Amino acid sequence: MEILHNLFLGFQEIFLLENLLYCFVGVFIGTLIGVLPGIGPVGAMSLLLPATYKVSPLASVIMLAGIYYGAMYGGSTTSILVNIPGEAASVVTCLDGYQMARQGRAGPALGIAAFGSFIAGSLALVGLMLVAPPLASIALRFGPPEYFSLMCLGLTILIYLASGSIIRAIMMAAFGVIIGCIGQDPETGSSRFVFGIPDLLDGIGLAPFVMGLFGISEVFLNIEQSLKERNILSTKIKGLLPNWQDWKDSIKPILRGSVLGFFLGILPGGGAVISSFASYAVEKKVSKHPEKFGKGAIEGVAGPESANNAASEGAFVPLLTLGIPPNVVMALLLGALMIHGITPGPLLIPKHPEIFWGVIASMYLGNAMLLVLNLPLIGMWVQVLKVPYKILFPLILLFCLIGAYSINNSTFDVAIMLVFGVLGYLMRKYKFEGAPMVLAFVLGPMLENSLRQSLLLSDGSFLIFFTRPISAGGMIVTFLMLISCIIPTLRRKREVIPTEER
Amino acid sequence: MKIHHRAGSIFWLAVGIYTAISAYRLGLGSFRQPGPGFIFFLMALLLTILSAIDLGSTFTGKSKPDKDKRDEPLWLGVRWQKVLLVLVGISVYIYVFNFLGFLFSTFLLMIFLFKAVEPTKWWVSILASVITILISYGIFKLWLKVPFPSGFMGF
Repeated sequence: MEILHNLFLGFQEIFLLENLLYCFVGVFIGTLIGVLPGIGPVGAMSLLLPATYKVSPLASVIMLAGIYYGAMYGGSTTSILVNIPGEAASVVTCLDGYQMARQGRAGPALGIAAFGSFIAGSLALVGLMLVAPPLASIALRFGPPEYFSLMCLGLTILIYLASGSIIRAIMMAAFGVIIGCIGQDPETGSSRFVFGIPDLLDGIGLAPFVMGLFGISEVFLNIEQSLKERNILSTKIKGLLPNWQDWKDSIKPILRGSVLGFFLGILPGGGAVISSFASYAVEKKVSKHPEKFGKGAIEGVAGPESANNAASEGAFVPLLTLGIPPNVVMALLLGALMIHGITPGPLLIPKHPEIFWGVIASMYLGNAMLLVLNLPLIGMWVQVLKVPYKILFPLILLFCLIGAYSINNSTFDVAIMLVFGVLGYLMRKYKFEGAPMVLAFVLGPMLENSLRQSLLLSDGSFLIFFTRPISAGGMIVTFLMLISCIIPTLRRKREVIPTEER
Repeated sequence: MKIHHRAGSIFWLAVGIYTAISAYRLGLGSFRQPGPGFIFFLMALLLTILSAIDLGSTFTGKSKPDKDKRDEPLWLGVRWQKVLLVLVGISVYIYVFNFLGFLFSTFLLMIFLFKAVEPTKWWVSILASVITILISYGIFKLWLKVPFPSGFMGF
């Protein structure tokens, strides 16, 4: 009963006009971003981060969350119609979705992707409602050593899942912590790495940092290639409602994808990309006709599309209950909340129930909005696909520039963004990953605080991380994962895991 | 193309060494009471050691460059000059932003961006620039109340 009462409280919040508007804006922009190749959900969220400073904390999280799960919906459209995934979590949808479109079944493919996402999103919300409050009450007993080891674990899993060299991923995480801690020392007040620039005393802002690293660098990478027009299937899309046979084939993959995605989303470092690939692998394994996969099997669309949506909502569990973002997207949400003076963690639900339950209610409503946006308006999204990149990139750049300026009304933030844009561009060219750096950047100050507090508690002994059960568990798993990267067989397996959203 | 791999490692090695020295100067404190440079030093040490290992792997042949995309030439066959052009354009924009004001400097930047990378007709560039500026002015100045500079011309 308490859950229903709290959910009612959440709906009271979401039905305020401002929150409704930001929910719609979020899912709308999310769909748009998902449809447009060349900018991913992380880039879009970072672009709009400054805009959220002026609104209430709940409205800002509602909008950013909407962008994230909206992009999961929209990403399927380009995968199916153009064979280009709008964002990383839709890569696997290309395999069967595009084949269905070529066989004249683009409508059912788009339809089942939208319905599957809706069902999975709704089921994942039930999971979030049931799992988060008890987990938060357990987390109340956590001290600095537990937090330190959990943050190390989160970072290590992200590093483990990073594509390419693990050494380079750890290097980027280390650099992320360094730049995350720039500014005044919270204990002594001494300035650290500010180079005599007063603007740096408060540290490097999250928004200019991520906008540069993901937004600007993405544009740079795109304009160094020839800006070719995309080929879009010219056949008329008809029959968006899947038929009885389509539903019969899809319902089990949708349910399996929902459960799998939700639990993979909860794991630190896990996320929508991993879950969509895992769901595809599971569906192919359990199917009576695995040979149909890759040739237009509707199960290959329904399962992964459901899984990536469920995962995007499962990822809220560690953020809202422990205050630890499991991936970069959640790190941005954490940053957005902290800017408003709200620290996500075990005390979030008792102290700010309106935020937790408001976000949950907004996702129910957002999922419904997405269904309306994605099915009847599919023709509009197809038109958006035709916008040439030479028109699009100046707009993206301008939004980044104005967005960075509006944070402190200073061109210093714009310059910072440009510096990280160049760094991000070079990093991508030289195969260094940005995701571990961003997560480490956000976790850096918390990591430093919990390390210092733990050492103070233990009188300088690092053994404190191994004498408390939860902390010891986290540290042991962290070390095991790092060691496993050295073992050749496991290393090879790691290398085939797809890249996490960047 | 091990040279690219090495260049990346050397860059981070230099960053690591510089940070470690600066962090040491900030004060490391003790394990009982870590100082302001403690976390920086730890991370810089990690960065330095790992970038040295990464660099070393290019000499010992463990980096498997032939199986890796690192083997691709990074600057051949791509239009890096366009990137540089856009970078210079934005840098100038940041420099003159307060002096020229939001409307005028942004108009010039948009025309530049529409024309610089791909050939676009003048009327398309001007129209797109005007529409973009009006929309962004509406969103940021009128709705979100961002105080843009007026510039020397007063608008």
